[in-house]
Amino acid sequence: MDESEGRVAIVGAGLAGFAAYATLRHGGIAAEEITVLGPTRDPVGVWRPRAAAIRQRFMRSESDGHCLPTSFPGLAVREALRRRSVLPLVRSACDRYHPTVEDFLDHVAKLRSRSGWDESFRAAKIRRVHAADCGFALDGHGPFRHVLLAPGHPGLAFPRELEEDPRAVHAYEPHDYADRVTVVGAGMAAATEWLNALAAGSSVVSVRRREPERRPLNVPRPLFTRRGLAAFHAEPAERRAALLRDWSAPSYPPGRVWDEPLDRAARRGRFRVEAELNGVEQVICATGFRRGFRESPLLARLVDDHNLETRASWIVLDPDATVPALTDRTRTLALAGVPGQWAFPAADTLVGMKYAAHGFLRRVVACRTR
Amino acid sequence: MSYTLRGRLETRLAAALAPLLAASALAAADAEWWPLKLAAVMIAVGVAFDLFAYHRLLPYQPGWLSVPLGLLELGAVMGLALALDLRAPFGAALAFFALSWLLAQVLVHAGLPLLRLSYAEDGGELGRVGPTVAAAALVVFAFAGGLAWATRPPTVHLAAGVHRGPIVLDHAVRLVGAPGAVVRGGIRITADDVVVRGVTVFGGENGIAVDDAERVLLDDVTIAGPVLDAINVRRASVRIHDCHIGPLTGRYAQGIDISFSIDRPPSEVKGCTITGGQEGIVSHSAMVHVEDNDVSGTSMRGITLTEMSMGSAEGNQVSDAVGVGIFCGDYSECEIEGNRVGRVRPDLASGDAFRLGFGIVAHYHALARLAENDTPSVRSFAQGRIERER
Repeated sequence: MDESEGRVAIVGAGLAGFAAYATLRHGGIAAEEITVLGPTRDPVGVWRPRAAAIRQRFMRSESDGHCLPTSFPGLAVREALRRRSVLPLVRSACDRYHPTVEDFLDHVAKLRSRSGWDESFRAAKIRRVHAADCGFALDGHGPFRHVLLAPGHPGLAFPRELEEDPRAVHAYEPHDYADRVTVVGAGMAAATEWLNALAAGSSVVSVRRREPERRPLNVPRPLFTRRGLAAFHAEPAERRAALLRDWSAPSYPPGRVWDEPLDRAARRGRFRVEAELNGVEQVICATGFRRGFRESPLLARLVDDHNLETRASWIVLDPDATVPALTDRTRTLALAGVPGQWAFPAADTLVGMKYAAHGFLRRVVACRTR
Repeated sequence: MSYTLRGRLETRLAAALAPLLAASALAAADAEWWPLKLAAVMIAVGVAFDLFAYHRLLPYQPGWLSVPLGLLELGAVMGLALALDLRAPFGAALAFFALSWLLAQVLVHAGLPLLRLSYAEDGGELGRVGPTVAAAALVVFAFAGGLAWATRPPTVHLAAGVHRGPIVLDHAVRLVGAPGAVVRGGIRITADDVVVRGVTVFGGENGIAVDDAERVLLDDVTIAGPVLDAINVRRASVRIHDCHIGPLTGRYAQGIDISFSIDRPPSEVKGCTITGGQEGIVSHSAMVHVEDNDVSGTSMRGITLTEMSMGSAEGNQVSDAVGVGIFCGDYSECEIEGNRVGRVRPDLASGDAFRLGFGIVAHYHALARLAENDTPSVRSFAQGRIERER
């Protein structure tokens, strides 16, 4: 065992890992006790180019959508103080506050510099988690008593028929807009791309298998707290999987910001909905990410090696996002980010990432031999 | 936030802890129990709303809803405070509620999320600390309430029959007479927070004298045969409700005299019946509200507010007075509204022009504002002024 690596490991150096790291540090875990293992040092190294690709200017999340360990002061409070204006607070109270991407990235950079993140980071791509007597070995690192896996999305999802199509580009890959654009998908990224392409002067065809739901956030608001979670956790496994499938249906927020440009363009014949691709010169696949633990080699091996319980495409977790078969009073294995949906349906949001982080911190602190 | 029921209750009680402590401190400092009672009503209203309305109707509660819900609770609390007769000064009660509400908002949106990482995702629950905080709030309330109960004025029951006076009440006490309880020789009150209820007083220089005391209540007292005043109040603040005075037959006797109390909280005379004497109800240099009384057969004036008094006479009935029915004199300011002044006989023997049988008189720089009085005549003298509400 390499004592210099500490007792706690975070696998994944994206936003979920970063939020967990900030939470652990806030909870009194020293930087030298934590090892962050990931391919790149920058916690927004993956997220930033994706946001840039879809020209995202505002976060879908609200004031609580940040990586700080405590929900207060959120980004609305910080902006109010910086601008000396109560407007961000008023908008936050009305659930109408969405921080800019620029503010979000700035906050991540500041938190990164003061948290000790870079000192704890080790460049490594972990392929296998092996449960040992006193914790977990991670491809020659460790063993660590407490491990949080935050591998992120397993990759971009393309419709099978477009995988080899030279016209196709994923929304989260850098691209410009042709004169005639087809956008496949009906979620937040698709809606953003409709507006982007229209703003660039393109005519847009939306190809979708189903009508998008209009929700302010990924899932109904009660599911962000114990009120909704308790009922979700009490559901039988099959029902729980069905609910997760329902909630993963494409959605984007309601509001004039979205509707008016689309209505205007539709009246002018620049926006329409079709069921099939129609031979335009550019197809933008706003089809999100590949789903399920089988899409992640790390998680697939974890399940197979340890014969973990799964249901449909989810790993079964305890309510605090820990893997029950590999977690006890002496060691912890937790999942954060999208693989943690069994515990927290909105696990791929910043609030969801912190939910897993809070549970992980409780386990680490409660373990006397950490 | 989407509160759980437990989260709502724990947050409510945690936020109530500081106001409860403040109310207890206020109560202890001022010997006034209304802050504690008000805090109790606030908590009761809040918990009731949590249990029976908010939890069911609000699966998600956006931040802005705190304002209308706060106003709703304010209305309920103030309504209950009035219904329960908490005797809380309106402005102070409003300020207490507003400060408590603000503190709760700061706690919910900043304090508790800072203190407890998972406060929001736990739906407002405080974990292991929650029951402790709730218990602490209940303990503080029980302790303060118990203290209030233990230190409330003792009650002395006066049995039916005649008791030799004068009785001196020099500490907070409730003197409650059984039907037929009579004190001969008067009652003298020199302490705050005294209640005299259901007692008949006969004789004495003054029937009931109140000196240098506040929060005194004389309720349903009957007074007859005093040498001077049936009720004499000096540098004091009293509430006199439903008293029965008279007939007053002594040469210098009068009904109720509240004087030299301008530096004390206002007094109130309400629902009394006074028969005979020189003046029925009179104030000199005091703030007095005189309402719904029946004054008859007085030999000088029915109701008098004079010597820089500030007061009001509303809904009284004055009849068979000599000289003046309702008198506002000597730089006083009087609101005189909805009174009925019956026959007033002229006092020709006095030689005073303003005593020639007028219903309402403003005299010597006094200002009387009148509205909806039923009286045969209204006059002003010696630069007294009458203003009539249009």
